[in-house]
Amino acid sequence: MVKLSRYFLVILAVVGFAIVLPKLYWMAFAKPIRAPYVMYSCIDNNFVILRSGNGVKRTNIKGEELTREEYEQKLPLLFVRQLLLNKTMPDSINGVEMDMHDITINRSTFRVRPKEVNAPQPTLFPLFESQSGRANLSMPPDFFRITWRMEFIDAATNKINEEKSRMFSAVLYKHGFKFPATTIEGIPTTRKSCDEGYFIIDSANQLFHIKMIKGEPYVHKIETPTGLTFKTIRCVDFKNKRYYAYLFSTNNEIYILTQYDYELIKFPIENLNPQIAEIKIYSDLFNFNVISITDGEMHVTALNRDYQKVDEFIEKWPVRSQRTEGKIAQFIFPAQISLTNKTSGFVRFFVTPPESFYWLFLSLLLAAVHFVLLKQKRVKITKHIIDFIIIAITGIFGFIAVNIFPNKFYD
Amino acid sequence: MLKSIIYKEWLKTRWFIIAFATLGTLVVGYIFLSVQHNFKFSDANSYWYTLLFMKLKYFGYLKFVPIAGALAISIAQFFPETVDKRIKLTFHLPLNENRVLLIMMLFGTLVLLASYLLFLSIFVAFSALYFPSNIIIPALITITPWFLAGFAAYYFVALIVLEPVWKYRFLYILVAATIVPLFFEQAATGSYATANPVLVIIVILSSISLLFSGFRFRKGEM
Repeated sequence: MVKLSRYFLVILAVVGFAIVLPKLYWMAFAKPIRAPYVMYSCIDNNFVILRSGNGVKRTNIKGEELTREEYEQKLPLLFVRQLLLNKTMPDSINGVEMDMHDITINRSTFRVRPKEVNAPQPTLFPLFESQSGRANLSMPPDFFRITWRMEFIDAATNKINEEKSRMFSAVLYKHGFKFPATTIEGIPTTRKSCDEGYFIIDSANQLFHIKMIKGEPYVHKIETPTGLTFKTIRCVDFKNKRYYAYLFSTNNEIYILTQYDYELIKFPIENLNPQIAEIKIYSDLFNFNVISITDGEMHVTALNRDYQKVDEFIEKWPVRSQRTEGKIAQFIFPAQISLTNKTSGFVRFFVTPPESFYWLFLSLLLAAVHFVLLKQKRVKITKHIIDFIIIAITGIFGFIAVNIFPNKFYD
Repeated sequence: MLKSIIYKEWLKTRWFIIAFATLGTLVVGYIFLSVQHNFKFSDANSYWYTLLFMKLKYFGYLKFVPIAGALAISIAQFFPETVDKRIKLTFHLPLNENRVLLIMMLFGTLVLLASYLLFLSIFVAFSALYFPSNIIIPALITITPWFLAGFAAYYFVALIVLEPVWKYRFLYILVAATIVPLFFEQAATGSYATANPVLVIIVILSSISLLFSGFRFRKGEM
């Protein structure tokens, strides 16, 4: 039992050091990796690139350096205010007259990060009144959840509003909703231009649009291609009111859902996975820039307003483990454990296994050092076999652990 | 014999246990005093909204309560044993030495468990007055590691206090300092759901750690 308690302590120390030592190492030696800012220029009909780090460098796709003013003129719809101030804003671009109102309502920015998708999600939502006749939205007194039925719970009393719950549940049931809901996505804030309710996936993978109009339920079942399922739906509140949401499918495609006619339009882009990549979508009067950034790669696709691909840009860079400091880390640490991860909002024991066997050199060296230390103490080596195995497998972590909790049972 | 050992543990720790149980109950009471104040002064629906979408943790005051009690009870229970090496008297009893240590550890564990269950039952009962399960369950997931940290800290303190050599005490503190923060990561409500089972294993692994320093103490390690 005492021996067991020692091995338990050694395991704990190995885990503790496997978390703390790599963390300290990376705090000391990590170097920032900055993805460039790449946008499609409607003037050049090609990409322009801004790199930051050791000073800001702006170039076109051929690598020719641009001055700040030249760069801004290549992206007139992004820097419209600056160009107006400089009096360099063109009257028309690609035959389209530049109208401030059109520029503004067609401009949108969207971003979703893996940390937001892989994260605990709320299961209780406020259902706003969509047509209250008031300019501003107000927070409803109750919140809803969808389990075996749609239930509204009054916040002041913590009691279920039976009448409202029955009314909404019945309408959902009539539309073929299969309880419970698996996903509920909307914009649960009063700080939006108007309310469009929620997009809800039921347990049969059917997609529904639900909102409340003058106290009554509004439910619309959205037709989706057979077999299409979604990883996440990100609702948007853009000025042009062309679509409700960006929808990311389980086979890594992206769709938009048009407003009022509920048409699902697929963007001609493959491998867009918001569970591992940060996705940014900038749209303007002429183009969509769909940007996907993973650990070691950036993929930018430019689409026109008819959602057709016009160009794409790919750049790769060495990930942390491929850089010098990463290779040294692979020599020192057999594995690394972290409780947090930039692709998840959950706390979990994320184990990064070694990408090479460099760590074995240090493990064997430390096992040899341990052997010498034991020899000096004139103890029986055969009684320490398990410690040697621990050091061989867990390297520096095990070496520190077995020496902090010394094996003195046989002295 | 068993009764006498338990009585001895009770004599050492009773005031700390009573103080901790009172303090913990007061903290839980304060949490719900604050909740009812917020219900009164800002609307209930706005308060629910801040909990669900603005990352407010109404139970935040509880964070270091379990570990504070565990530290106090552990020191109260094991520190007197090291003064003049009194624990050696216990080891001379006609009882298996490891068994005595495990009874001491079990006493502390049960005392902590009883206090934690008291706080948790008051917490859940009051929470159920103000919130539905959709708010209470993520709250429980979030506070679970704080309570588990209490057990882990109790076992580590026992290990450290009973260790006879100062150099190793310092090294054990270093190990404890790598483990205990795992229970206190800054994270959104509910995000510990996937880590909690592993944290339970860590607590189980640390639960018999005092046998190790107890063994070193018996051996007269210097």
